[in-house]
Amino acid sequence: MMSQPVINVSNLTKFYGNFKALDSISFSVSQGWVYGYLGPNGAGKTTTIRTMLGLLKPNSGKVEISGVNPSKDPVQALQKVGYAPELPNLQTFFSGEELLDFTGKMFGLSREVRKEKVWELLEFVGLKDERKKKIGKYSKGMVQKLSVALALVNDPTILIMDEPTIGMDPEATAYFRNLFTTLSKQGTTVFISSHLLDEVQRICTHVGMINKGKMVFDGPISQVLETFTQEWVVEAELKKVTTKITANLKRLNYVKDITVEGNKLKIQLKEKKDLRGEISSEIFKHKGVLLSLNLHKITLEDAYLQALKGS
Amino acid sequence: MNAFQRVATIISYEWKRTLARKKFIVFVIIAFVVQILIFVIFNYLFTNPPPLMPAFFLEQTKPMMWIVEALAPQGLFMSLVAIMISGGSMSEEYEHGTADILLSKPIAKIEYMTGKYLGGVSILSFVVALTTALGVILATSFFSPQEHLHFVPHVYLAIVYSNLVFLSLAFMFSEVFRRTTLALLSAVGIFIASMVTSGVLSAVYAFTQEQLYLDASKWLPNWCASNFPDFVISELVAISSTPFVSVGQVETVLAGALIAVYTIVFIAMAVIKLIKSDVTKKTD
Repeated sequence: MMSQPVINVSNLTKFYGNFKALDSISFSVSQGWVYGYLGPNGAGKTTTIRTMLGLLKPNSGKVEISGVNPSKDPVQALQKVGYAPELPNLQTFFSGEELLDFTGKMFGLSREVRKEKVWELLEFVGLKDERKKKIGKYSKGMVQKLSVALALVNDPTILIMDEPTIGMDPEATAYFRNLFTTLSKQGTTVFISSHLLDEVQRICTHVGMINKGKMVFDGPISQVLETFTQEWVVEAELKKVTTKITANLKRLNYVKDITVEGNKLKIQLKEKKDLRGEISSEIFKHKGVLLSLNLHKITLEDAYLQALKGS
Repeated sequence: MNAFQRVATIISYEWKRTLARKKFIVFVIIAFVVQILIFVIFNYLFTNPPPLMPAFFLEQTKPMMWIVEALAPQGLFMSLVAIMISGGSMSEEYEHGTADILLSKPIAKIEYMTGKYLGGVSILSFVVALTTALGVILATSFFSPQEHLHFVPHVYLAIVYSNLVFLSLAFMFSEVFRRTTLALLSAVGIFIASMVTSGVLSAVYAFTQEQLYLDASKWLPNWCASNFPDFVISELVAISSTPFVSVGQVETVLAGALIAVYTIVFIAMAVIKLIKSDVTKKTD
């Protein structure tokens, strides 16, 4: 069921001088979605996010966060928005604890709530022991963790993350991926700009793809794979590949082509359908010994590359 | 959270940011040192009066040494301190990318800028309070008794007000250029150019006695900024044969009005730039 969009971007165009950074971008993100925003470097991902936050003025088009234009009324639009920028430059003269407290203050949290929240978040991101240290002395990973914590200070209903796991160790990366999924299940809308396709495929429910300032895809993650899948391939590993087996498989009306590599068969199908059962029966029928049989599904990376190629 | 609370949050942030800068602390210390040096020089003059200096001049100046001490850093160092405070106020946030962090929070741009500016004014007021207090303490400790001490708040407020000219100028450059070095150099450049031009015009006036040159120098920003506190105190304690000879109410009002005009123009330009343009990053 499609709920009311909490982020609504329509026909957004942004120029930097003569350079068109965004070309009539449109997408909507509904409550509880984890929206992955993909694109190569310089595609316009950060420009989109900074426009969504009211930091950049669009040349045309509009942005609405919970129905409010952040450029016109940032106080209302950003009250329940958490934002973690890419490679954040935090105020180095603050300690982690001080910056979290200051951020809570900017969201109007009371002293008591801030105290509790700061402690909870420091513990949550594993910076409790480093809380008094000036941010200037933090490692890149620690800054990234603190940046995520800062984005959570106000218990946001919309979380906007620009490359959130850059610089984090694998353990922390996995931890934050789970966090984003958990938050979305609790109703938080998560908008993630990332170039880590595996990350997006794991946690996102919807995907937007941008290239050279133009939107090349916007839809559910299942749809992106469907859209960009040109053919399905079944890979079969046999004890021994015989000409009889390959000839009979080729004769099947749903098989487009077969490639033999040693004892492996790459069977290209005419339909986007899981036909492993039929293929295994055919192999057994001709006395073949099947060691493994896999349906090669398209990955987000394949789809992404195809989308970029197409655009 | 209302607008006043949001502005107050940025003011407290500005204090933290400014006090973390070593350059600023060094400048404040220099202002104190200058003040102490002036005290040492006057102390020497009082104990070893030079033959050409009339004794009555020293006698009449001595009970008002607190004013000399309070105004001592005004002409040069306090203006530079004001420039130091606000020259990086806006630009450093753009350069460091922290403007993104601040302005992605629920705060209007105008509230953010108001907080930044008032933060600078409050820091300047604090520094002036320290230098004024130091001047009063040194004078009352070593040249007691001191007279007209009830005018201390007047002098203090006049110094703070007059320094708004260069504080606002540097603040405007900080927002317009969004580069700290350029903002500081431009503000200091105008300050020095203004002082030099003013000196040249005064010298020409001395030779030619043409009022035009003297009048022209009054429109330079340093004239009102440097002279307003002197004019105010001269109005209050006007006594001939002390350094505080009244220049007349017209000059005082003109200096006060010019400070207001310069300040309003500079702030307005900074506001227009902020409202009209994107929040930039150095890499943009």
